[in-house]
Amino acid sequence: MKLCSPAGHTLPLGLSAVARPRSLEGLRIGLLDNSKPPVDKMFAHIERQLRATVPGVEIYSVSKQVASQPADAKIMQGLRQNCDVVINALGD
Amino acid sequence: MISTSFVALAHNQAKVLGMPSMPTVVLPHPIGGTPLDSVLAKLDAVLPEIIAKLTTALPAEVADTKTAGTSSTWVDIGTSDEWHGLQCEFIERGWGDGLPLVPPTEARVAAMVGGAGLPKQHIVGVVAPSMGVATVELIAANAVMAGCRPEHMPVLVAAVQALVEPQFNLYGCQATTHCVAPLLIVSGPLTQKLNIHGGSGMFGPGPWANGVIGRAVRLILLNIGGAKPVDIDKATMGHPGKYTFCIAENEEASPWPTLRAERGYTGDVSTVTVVGGEAPHNINDHESTTANGVLTTVCGAMAESGQNTVYYKAEPLLILGPEHAATIAAEGFTKDDVKRCIYDNARIPMTRFSQEIIERRFWRRLPIRYRNMHLDTMVTVAHRPEDVMVMVGGGAGKHSMWVPTFGSTRSVTRAILKSDCTAWLPSDF
Repeated sequence: MKLCSPAGHTLPLGLSAVARPRSLEGLRIGLLDNSKPPVDKMFAHIERQLRATVPGVEIYSVSKQVASQPADAKIMQGLRQNCDVVINALGD
Repeated sequence: MISTSFVALAHNQAKVLGMPSMPTVVLPHPIGGTPLDSVLAKLDAVLPEIIAKLTTALPAEVADTKTAGTSSTWVDIGTSDEWHGLQCEFIERGWGDGLPLVPPTEARVAAMVGGAGLPKQHIVGVVAPSMGVATVELIAANAVMAGCRPEHMPVLVAAVQALVEPQFNLYGCQATTHCVAPLLIVSGPLTQKLNIHGGSGMFGPGPWANGVIGRAVRLILLNIGGAKPVDIDKATMGHPGKYTFCIAENEEASPWPTLRAERGYTGDVSTVTVVGGEAPHNINDHESTTANGVLTTVCGAMAESGQNTVYYKAEPLLILGPEHAATIAAEGFTKDDVKRCIYDNARIPMTRFSQEIIERRFWRRLPIRYRNMHLDTMVTVAHRPEDVMVMVGGGAGKHSMWVPTFGSTRSVTRAILKSDCTAWLPSDF
């Protein structure tokens, strides 16, 4: 019996990751809070650890207003302009 | 950085973005709602991995050659025991909602496509979270499997158009731990012709088209959108409306302008409105004989803590039974009066929320509305009276219902139109 698969073909958004640095020294690290608790406290902890262990690191922190919505254009532009790498939080 | 319960969702998102090799660091679930000391201990354990993955070269991504086509995939399924064997095959392939499915044969799909009045490869929308391309033919295949008839296709096309509008936030609705499901509200002259029921027992069960149309939308969200329960659809509980969730507006019983009219559609134009809703909550009032009495009960029912509606700029939906609506309207209340009454009186004492919720949800997330507010503050179920949605539905009896929403979503209404942008009419069927 010949049947039509009901599954859709994915339309990938075609983004790509930036090349990874060899070290975080002197880099600008973005922390994107998904706004779920307690990511703010977790990122504060990561920031303390990074500042203590990685020379010259700069931190750029930003939080989504609503966890279930994509980061808006202003947030994304800020990350692009101010960060070399980004750590994003996802989940509960 | 993910908790274990969300790994599949994160990898799916990375794949959709075109970066399936995106590095991830996994922490043991749960994170939220647990003591901070234990969270930071989990974090300390992965900090070296975070740094390592930020500084390790990524593998070259391999292009996904199966993507972005508008041609459907046809599969040969051989089975000796047609019905039982087919159903087992469907489950094995991950198609469907767990209930028996009608096989989408070439003849059935072609007939269903014919009901849409559109080319089979026409793209109606791209369905989150897997960004599946919803062609007319794929919508038709899912409609066949749900038990729809070809004349239901225009409703399904309009529903998909509404669901993929950005303000509906389909990605969030599909992937959240909240129980949200899109409620379809069909309004206008097509409801009678297509047997979409807005009277007694409209949420089901019954021999109406509500069940199959709502189920077809769910199959589209599962099969095209890829919102597979547990891994991608992260609903902690879900609700029965995630099988099927479709009603008609009872326009004949409405003493006020209809939902359809409020959205700018009148006359022959039928519409579909999608609302990201929880399961409906019943409101029983057999005693009140006045508008004030009925609305007091309604507001009391709607004023409950723990609902998403209060955390966002949401649109709670009130479905007044015809008898409750008549009692209210008899005293000259307009629909706007009802909305204003709910805004003013369906309020929850701040003391019904935990200190943690007050600090994060209200003071931090809604500072303009709630900063400097204290425990004697009354929390509203909507931020503006006009955000309260009111419609009439159901039949005889002294019951109404209200539908809390996901909150991070706005309802969308779309006209049910032909390819030439004129309305589908009852005489077309």
